[in-house]
Amino acid sequence: MSNSEQRPSDAAAHAERTPNVDDDAPLDPAAMYALMQNQQRSIETQMGAFVPYITLAWGLTWLVGFGALWLIDGLQPAFSLPLAVAVPVFIATILISGGFSAWLGIRSGRGMRGNTASAFTGTVYGITWSIGAFALGFLGSGLQSQGMTAELANFYYPSAYVLFAGIMYIIAAAIWHAIPSLIGGCWLVAIAVAAPFFGYPGHYLFLALAGGLAFIALSIYGAVEQRRMRAVTNGGHRG
Amino acid sequence: MDELDPVIHAQARLRIMAALSTLEADGSISFPRLQELLDMTAGNLSTHLRKLEDASYVDITKAHKGRTPITYLGLSKKGRRAFEDYMDNLRTVLGEQP
Repeated sequence: MSNSEQRPSDAAAHAERTPNVDDDAPLDPAAMYALMQNQQRSIETQMGAFVPYITLAWGLTWLVGFGALWLIDGLQPAFSLPLAVAVPVFIATILISGGFSAWLGIRSGRGMRGNTASAFTGTVYGITWSIGAFALGFLGSGLQSQGMTAELANFYYPSAYVLFAGIMYIIAAAIWHAIPSLIGGCWLVAIAVAAPFFGYPGHYLFLALAGGLAFIALSIYGAVEQRRMRAVTNGGHRG
Repeated sequence: MDELDPVIHAQARLRIMAALSTLEADGSISFPRLQELLDMTAGNLSTHLRKLEDASYVDITKAHKGRTPITYLGLSKKGRRAFEDYMDNLRTVLGEQP
């Protein structure tokens, strides 16, 4: 079999740099079993290497974005972040994290082709984010047109979107068997429901800290776990 | 007990089969990405893939991204079954229940 993307000269040069390992020979059965398990873990670790970065980006987004909204009135009268600054900061952090997540997701899936069923699942899941985001916005507008006050809208929008994000994380966990996504999703649902009880503007600070710090902690845990897995699997053979 | 399949029972080919087994059914991966994930040289990977292809354990398809040809690799149904049988036999040798 030939690799059409690899020039023969590159392959030869690479082969010369690599120690000559007799990887055509089997090891004893126990070592072969361990080799197989290490290889599968190594692939899974490498394929999931981007997840802690995405989690960290969203942790910072929540901390900074909701933190900015809290600063509008949270430190009054000593300090007030103008609404015209806080809202763009909130939107910008979400857009940056969304773009960063999409870029990392695409990068991680490079060179991979799924079957038709998984492509359908991924597409429907991606579109559902957009459908939900627009639907919740329109629903909020509808409620405001029927008398929901701006004060109540301050609670509706953040809680509705955080609740929706949490449910989407849980769905992602169900589809792709991702435990960290399940934990993050359940946490988001819990804080979305709890936030209004903190009142205005405390609910923004609650979402900034409970959402932001939790995601940053989840990201650190994920990175440590990946480092541990790499240490285990680096015993694998190369060649 | 069945013998351990000699096509798979070699370190490099076991690593390739183990890596491909993590793909979903009918899923495939490009040659350069597989090479990157396995940290193998192109020559070594090609050599062992040829042996797996000769045994019909690996499906190879060619595609194009723009003008660049890309080779995609995935386990065939026969290959997936052979890998599962190999794992069962290995566990039997090790005294575990398959």
